[in-house]
Amino acid sequence: MLTLLRTFSWQEVLHHPWRSAAAAVAIMLGVALAFAVHLINASALSEFSSAVRAVNGQSDLELRAVSGNFNENLYARVAEHSGIALASPVLEVSTYALDAQGNKRALKVLGLDALVAASLSPALMPMPSKDAGTDTASWDSSDDLRFAMFEPRKAFANAAARSLQKDGRIHIITGLQTTSVQTAGSVAAGGSALVVMDIAAAQDLFGLQGQISRIDLRLAAGADSAALVTSLALPAGVQAQAPGDAEQRIGNLSRAYRVNMTVLALVALFTGAFLVFSVLSLSVAKRAQHMALLGVLGLTAHQRLQLVLAEAAALGVVGSALGVALGTGLAALAMQLLGGDLGGGYFAGATPSLQWSTPAALLYGALGVAAALVGAWWPARAAQALPLAPTLKGLGSAAQHGRGAWAAAALVLIGALLVASPPVWGIPLGAYVAIGMLLVGGIGLLPALVALSYDRIAPWVAVRALPMLAIERARRVRETAAVAVSGVVAALSLAVALTVMVASFRTSVMQWLDVVLPAPLYVRTATSSAAGQVLNFSAAQVQAIGALPGVARVSGLRTVALQLDPAQPSVMLVARDLDDPARDLPLVQGPTAPASGVPPGAIALYVSEAMVDLYATKPGQSYPLNLKFSDVDIAKLAINSGVISSSATSSSATSSGATTSLAKPDFYIAGVWRDYARQFGAIALHQRDYARITGDTKVNDLALWPSAGADPQAIEQQIRSYVSAQFAMDAPSADSAAQAGKLVEFSSAQEIRTLSLQIFDRSFAVTYWLQAVAIAIGLFGVAASFSAQVLARRKEFGLLAHLGLTRRQILQVVAFEGAAWTAIGSVAGCALGLLVSGVLVHVVNPQSFHWTMDLTVPWLRLALLCVAVVAAGTATAWLAGRAAAGKDAVLAVKEDW
Amino acid sequence: MTLRIDNLSKRYGETSVFASVSLQVQAGEFVAIVGESGVGKSTLLNCMAGLDSWDAGRVQVGNTDLGAMNAEQLAVWRRQAVGFVFQAFHVLPHLDVAQNIGLPLMLLAQPKAVIQAQVALMLEAVGLTGLGARLPQQLSGGQLQRVAIARAMVHRPPLVLADEPTGNLDPTTAQRTMDALIAQTRAHGASLVLVTHSEAAASRADRVLHLTANGIAA
Repeated sequence: MLTLLRTFSWQEVLHHPWRSAAAAVAIMLGVALAFAVHLINASALSEFSSAVRAVNGQSDLELRAVSGNFNENLYARVAEHSGIALASPVLEVSTYALDAQGNKRALKVLGLDALVAASLSPALMPMPSKDAGTDTASWDSSDDLRFAMFEPRKAFANAAARSLQKDGRIHIITGLQTTSVQTAGSVAAGGSALVVMDIAAAQDLFGLQGQISRIDLRLAAGADSAALVTSLALPAGVQAQAPGDAEQRIGNLSRAYRVNMTVLALVALFTGAFLVFSVLSLSVAKRAQHMALLGVLGLTAHQRLQLVLAEAAALGVVGSALGVALGTGLAALAMQLLGGDLGGGYFAGATPSLQWSTPAALLYGALGVAAALVGAWWPARAAQALPLAPTLKGLGSAAQHGRGAWAAAALVLIGALLVASPPVWGIPLGAYVAIGMLLVGGIGLLPALVALSYDRIAPWVAVRALPMLAIERARRVRETAAVAVSGVVAALSLAVALTVMVASFRTSVMQWLDVVLPAPLYVRTATSSAAGQVLNFSAAQVQAIGALPGVARVSGLRTVALQLDPAQPSVMLVARDLDDPARDLPLVQGPTAPASGVPPGAIALYVSEAMVDLYATKPGQSYPLNLKFSDVDIAKLAINSGVISSSATSSSATSSGATTSLAKPDFYIAGVWRDYARQFGAIALHQRDYARITGDTKVNDLALWPSAGADPQAIEQQIRSYVSAQFAMDAPSADSAAQAGKLVEFSSAQEIRTLSLQIFDRSFAVTYWLQAVAIAIGLFGVAASFSAQVLARRKEFGLLAHLGLTRRQILQVVAFEGAAWTAIGSVAGCALGLLVSGVLVHVVNPQSFHWTMDLTVPWLRLALLCVAVVAAGTATAWLAGRAAAGKDAVLAVKEDW
Repeated sequence: MTLRIDNLSKRYGETSVFASVSLQVQAGEFVAIVGESGVGKSTLLNCMAGLDSWDAGRVQVGNTDLGAMNAEQLAVWRRQAVGFVFQAFHVLPHLDVAQNIGLPLMLLAQPKAVIQAQVALMLEAVGLTGLGARLPQQLSGGQLQRVAIARAMVHRPPLVLADEPTGNLDPTTAQRTMDALIAQTRAHGASLVLVTHSEAAASRADRVLHLTANGIAA
């Protein structure tokens, strides 16, 4: 076999190097894209997980609040438990710092007890440094350095946070003010910006006295964690999490995005397999007589099959090796340009370095070889089935129309049935397999489509020589036509599917924005909900802002993260005005009239579609939402003010530190809404209900309706002045008071809308590149096919010249053929693409991201895309024909004279 | 229509194919050209059809000087004035028999009714009635050559050029094919130039010319 490869096959490569190169390049591109996406994702995930591990420490178990913080009294009880060797309390606060240029940058502040944290969280252990801050110069002994950890307003920064320093200090935003802390040293933890402080100092800094976010536990030898958790009798609102939960949460965070990116990249490989199919089909057809001769000389049918497969494997190995190299380069470049999440926004702050993986390289390389072998299977079977004697005479085997049509139709049918299958591990595997079957089955039906279409067109062009020649050829050699355009069909169906999916998503996002952004102007304190716990407006401030001149109406929005499932990312509780949910929320299921169907006394909840998918919530059911807000002041306020009766609380603040407040009203799921902002679930309720049951009257965002004729800029200025004035009452300086006014951010609905769509377009930019690559690969296939065919048909063109066709007319025939073939390819690609887009929109997206969208078909864009493909295919055929329709083609007939 | 060739010479680089070839074929005359392989018979036939260029001399068909026409004009002239029959038949595999025969008429933009009528006549004339819907793969070699003859004659060209039309056929079929070719050209008054190695075929010509490196002679 090797001898045959070196002689018979290698000669073919030498004769048509560009054709083999095109197939290898197609495999290379597919492998490169898939491997690059893998490397980027793996690097980012590893970096982000590593950073999270560093922050979370190396505990056996951690106790966390479902939402926000909990009373530190629990720590005392836990630390004394006999099954626990070590307990470390931690306060985590997400906020911002002002960098040297005065810009807000995300910052995590961790309050630790340094005496117990060392063995549990070594990456967070402060390392005092004399050089770290200006004041340390006055310290005169190493003891002073060590005790710096316990001093208020002293922090230890990781590498990212140190870049925020100005004169050795970090200016941390604490509420609507900034507080400067001295950098007294460093911590080893990587990832996004974080500083470590003494836990008491951190509590003081943020006014969170008595509260902690989590307790990291090291269990005593032999202790059983499940039994321990039971014996701890944790208060409602506090849950135990295993260390793996955080990693699983991170994995879940971006899994769907990663899988979808990888699948998109693999589709490029799939298209590459079609190019291998095209190239090898034509190569086998062209070498049929040579193969038949080899057969006569003793090469068995099975060996002919092996020979073609070996040729494909060689192409695959070359393409895969180049693809792995190119993919590595692409990954490095993309990580520099787009970040570790390719613009997806899942790993903000992580700056991963490329992590090469030999097993992954081998895996993706093997995928490339497998794609080449799959593409080569049918041509190899054709080589195996060659009838030797007729082929040697140049007669070949008669076309066997319709043989594969039933199998193709069956594939399409099975694919259609698979669409209904549920996701596997949160991944729409069934839908992806269905898409593959629809594509392969659809392409298998191409000959039938050619016959169906051109059998009807043929009579119309029966006596017009040039179109007649093109149409008749397409009809009579429909299998060849199908092979030639299969790459275009695969590429175009991908492009159409992505175009329709992106258009549907974009239109739905625009409609969603219309509903969720009802006000002309928005004010917010923090861009992340975590930071919103620290940065917010009080009820009095909201009222005062509403009373400012030019403000007709103000409405607040409160968001609070809820950890309903330790293995899943947080769910967001959204408290806002919901007087008319049908108007205020983009409901997909729910009441048409306010509060319709809600049982008396129950509180209406509106869950996002992700809640239905991930937490099996259903409208019309009550929901045991465990809202537990342990903010001491809020609880006291709520109970003292009678907002929550003592009987309605299952437990209140106790000396055990179990919890501070616990309301157990009846919640009723009144509707389901579409939420494109929170992929892992959101629960909306009326702010009035939220404040009533929690006592939390703060808000993160304000929606403002200016009075008629009011100047939005003037309103903005007034609000900034108001915030500055509020802060000036206890501000240390006029400068810091003025700074406070700048901490709030203003955006018009139009600005948010524009920015949202910009982010959307950036996120999907990669899909446009993939479409372009896929279509380029498909056109490569057409070029390869037509070039091979026109070379093989030089005698035919010579005959046409004898019959009186000019060179221009011969080229017109070839161009007509290109148009006829790619037109049918476009129709098929477009139809298949629309089918696939339906699967993407109605199955893949809901199963991956837990949101639905309305199908929007941009007909004009699709028509232009199809016309462009037909034009490109026609031009490609015409260019290929130029080489074969020259003067020497006329003389090709002479070979028989 | 008279075919007249004066002092025609053709070289490929330094190699002379033929030199100082002169001949004349009268309207309705059947001339056979014989000669050794490689002497340039096919090239001479190409020159007669305006498909190949020459280095010196002149080719005139009727009043048309082929050397004075460009490729476009030659193609248009060829589709009206010349019919070809080849050794390897050269029928288009993706057209059926009737389409293959009617192709020259389509190129001349004849109406559908005319094409159908002429094709039916030619099918009958070459003994292929009822086979018009068949594809070339479904015909024998003799039948294919009769399709080629029908195609060459369907538009009534004044000049028919045939190169070894019986070269791929057995003697019996070859004789029948020659019968059909001669009958059709005679019926339409066309001049026939036949290039052949077959003495049997050449013997049926009005004149036999021998092509050599030094020229052509009776």
